[in-house]
Amino acid sequence: MADNKKGLVTAGSSLLWRQQAILWWVFAVNFVCGALGTAPAALQLNRALHHTLAGQALTKGFDLGMFFEIVRLPNVSLMRSTTSSYIFAFLFFLFMLFVSGGILETYRQDRRLTTGDFFAASGAFFWRFVRLMLFSLLPFIFLWSMYAQVNRLSDSVGDRAVADQVGFCIQFAGTVLLALLALLVRLWFDLAKVRAVAQNERSMWHNMWRSSGMTWRHLGTLFWMYFRISLAAWIALLIGLLIWTKLPPTAIPATFILLEFIILSQLAARLWQLASATAWYKRYAEVVPADSVAYTTPEPEGVIEVVETPAIPEPNLSPLPEPEGPPTGARTGKDAALTDDL
Amino acid sequence: MQRQRALWVIAVGLLCYASAIAQSPFAPKVSGPLSQRVVAYQIDAKYDPARHTVEATETLTYRNLTGQPLDRFPFHLYLNAFQQKSTWMHEAHRDGSFRTSSLDEWKPKNYGANDVTSFEVVGMGDLTKQMKFVSPDDGNPDDKTVFEVKLPRAVQPGQDVQFKIKFKATFPEVIARTGYKRTFLLAGQWFPKVGVWWQGAWSCHQFHAMTEFFADFGTYDVKIALPKDYVVGATGVQTSDTDNGNGTKTVAFHAEDVHDFAWTADPNFKVVEGQFEGSVGPVRIRLLTYDSHKSSWQPYIYSAKESMKRFDEWYGPYPYAQLTVVDPPHGAGEAGGMEYPTFITGDSGWFIPKGVHLIDLVTEHEFGHQYWYGMVATNEFENGWLDEGINSYTEMKVLDNMYGENASAINLLGAQLGDRGLQRMSYLDVADTDSLSRSSYTDMSIGTYGGVTYGKTATMLVSLEAIVGEQTLKNALHTYFMRYRFTHPTQEDFMRTVNEVAGRDLQWFWAQAVYGTQVLDYEVLRADSNPTNWYDKNATEKKGETTYETQVILHRKGDFVFPVEAEVKFDNGESTRERWDGKARWVRYVYRKKAQVESVQIDSDYQVTLDRDYLNNSQVTKSQRSATAEIATYWMFLTQLLAQFLSWLA
Repeated sequence: MADNKKGLVTAGSSLLWRQQAILWWVFAVNFVCGALGTAPAALQLNRALHHTLAGQALTKGFDLGMFFEIVRLPNVSLMRSTTSSYIFAFLFFLFMLFVSGGILETYRQDRRLTTGDFFAASGAFFWRFVRLMLFSLLPFIFLWSMYAQVNRLSDSVGDRAVADQVGFCIQFAGTVLLALLALLVRLWFDLAKVRAVAQNERSMWHNMWRSSGMTWRHLGTLFWMYFRISLAAWIALLIGLLIWTKLPPTAIPATFILLEFIILSQLAARLWQLASATAWYKRYAEVVPADSVAYTTPEPEGVIEVVETPAIPEPNLSPLPEPEGPPTGARTGKDAALTDDL
Repeated sequence: MQRQRALWVIAVGLLCYASAIAQSPFAPKVSGPLSQRVVAYQIDAKYDPARHTVEATETLTYRNLTGQPLDRFPFHLYLNAFQQKSTWMHEAHRDGSFRTSSLDEWKPKNYGANDVTSFEVVGMGDLTKQMKFVSPDDGNPDDKTVFEVKLPRAVQPGQDVQFKIKFKATFPEVIARTGYKRTFLLAGQWFPKVGVWWQGAWSCHQFHAMTEFFADFGTYDVKIALPKDYVVGATGVQTSDTDNGNGTKTVAFHAEDVHDFAWTADPNFKVVEGQFEGSVGPVRIRLLTYDSHKSSWQPYIYSAKESMKRFDEWYGPYPYAQLTVVDPPHGAGEAGGMEYPTFITGDSGWFIPKGVHLIDLVTEHEFGHQYWYGMVATNEFENGWLDEGINSYTEMKVLDNMYGENASAINLLGAQLGDRGLQRMSYLDVADTDSLSRSSYTDMSIGTYGGVTYGKTATMLVSLEAIVGEQTLKNALHTYFMRYRFTHPTQEDFMRTVNEVAGRDLQWFWAQAVYGTQVLDYEVLRADSNPTNWYDKNATEKKGETTYETQVILHRKGDFVFPVEAEVKFDNGESTRERWDGKARWVRYVYRKKAQVESVQIDSDYQVTLDRDYLNNSQVTKSQRSATAEIATYWMFLTQLLAQFLSWLA
């Protein structure tokens, strides 16, 4: 409620804070995936190093020579342990894909859902979000191919230029531009997810194009919102790495805590984006469904999706009722039909 | 009459030149020939930047100091290596790459050539038709990197013979230490060069991918005509710069007591100068670089001066008046990191993080070649290790002295890498492949050549310090340099000198390290303590009171026999050092004391860098978890970060 007076980024951060349990759970799963992905390598290392003094070269100043020596030893076979890291990273990806529905529903309702409701929402949207993710691969692959073109261009122009920097500058500018475009694509599909949850949209193809229209019409506001959060994430990462360079190699517990803090900050930034996108949608785009009446009527000038139906429920400022059954169940079909573009 | 006038002109010219040299603040204090000058090259060259070609006339005066008549002369035509069916190309393609170039497929820009259009022997006529390509190493009929000419009559001992050769050099885009990149040219191995009469026969190998060069000492007078906006650097010193009035200029260079001549040109070169006060006089350091590499200018000059200072103090004087340092442009990596007499190429860029000692490493390495390749001038085809290997060792010593043993290559963001670690890394994977004494061009691959010739030699010499001492080895290298400079010594000369200076016969070491492929690997097989009253079930162990029998077993896993020292530490703070000759397969040490063993470590100073596995060099009774925890921390962070990146797509 008070969020309506705040800027979107602030509103998103408030929402993130109020629903911080989600952040901690996601961090915990990421932590477990990281730990399990690391376990085979740690076991291999422990087997090789626990009864030798050779490892001291890594703790009294990180000796790269000794590190490579350990990596190349056939009985350590550290590089083979990377498979486990890839597997658990992929599992985390699947996890995030699965819980996206629950997370967005929690943000939409701005209240803590029961575990059952949370996973019911997650399950309800899982296959829709899988489809959406597959659609999103198209622009991402396109951007990746553009990145290859930038590489080619920087190589070719840089090769002809006398100054070394020319190639690098092209590469840097191209990469930044493509990274911003990737952020835009992410924003577009995040909005599609938010809209899918809010409207219980089933057709992801239709939803994707609706969301693209919304994104395009409010590009400045939305992109600026996402960009600022990304910038904050980058700054947090840089500060974290800067502190890391100041830590002595012997400060392993401190290093561990710092690196985990960096991870937490990056996860928080991602959820902050989703929360801000939800806040934006609720404020400017959502037609308030019957079971989600805790929100004020959207500001007229910001409305981008208008309902052609005769009845929009009056805002009800009474306390939020406890949901009965799956949170999305009450809004099927009917709510989806409530909306349309101007 | 005309001849008399010509003689006068030459005499006056020589006088002028001598006076110019005498007045130069960079004149070395050394006078007279430093080497037996077997060859005298005079080359008039014209560079065509559009075609990347040089057309030249070469006059080679060869003095027969072999003690026997010679009627057959072989010549190198190195640039012919850059053709599809050459031996060099075959070898480089076989290994997939060469230095920084991928040679998986043929690219027309890799084409290079040396075409001799006329070959005349003064007093014997035009022998162009007598030229015959030969392939003494592999019999490849398509290799044209060596040709021979049989003279109608032999050149008698002590006599001179003069060859007049017209040739055209076509440069490839930079590859294998020569070529062009945009307006930049590094002209290396560009002219017909006569072989070396060495150990009773001609040594004139084909150009191989794995090895470098070998040539006789002499003088070089080279004139290069090229567009006048070009800045030129070369072996020796510049003696004149004449404007030809047609948009071109002719730059002349003179070099003495060198065995090769390379030059470079680029209109975009920026010249930066420095000076080193050597023990035999000042040396001008002339850096040819680029505006875009401005941050590298001072590091180059600094590295050159610091390297020169240490070589001057440790091994002997640098007797030349100038050192030209070329900083190749971007994309010309193949031209970087190369040595020619009094002329080296480095490696830099517009941004090199502070703490990455790339410029120091390359500049030092290439300067070091001025001693081992340039002056001692061993046969790189046969014994590459005498140049590249000894030079890698001295590079390590100089950089360790400049930046510390553990951080002489990289000292960045808490991570460190010493040059000795770098050399060891290159050696570890190829430890049992090729022996150092093997003719380098026959090594298994470019990878094993690099690992053995550079890495194994450096680690072998560091290990030798453990036996003879660091200072003794330094003295031995000093003696070797001073005794054999300008003489083309053999590997036996080197080993003999070390034996002599060390005052001991190290044949057992050379037999394994140089002639053999034995692998050195010692391990602590067992280290444990048991109460001596183990049979008494009522006895309880008390620290400081219970007597323990400690057993330590050291094991020679490899076939390289080497004396090792092991440090045994006990939990009461006592420690002892055991020295084992390492000859038997294993040795057992037993101690009875009121303390338990805490750790046993072979070579606790990490001096025996030839040891292939450092991890089995020690045993501790208490579990060591710090290193595992540290790596696992980073590993986990990266895994989590990767997971997050993937989930961003969800």
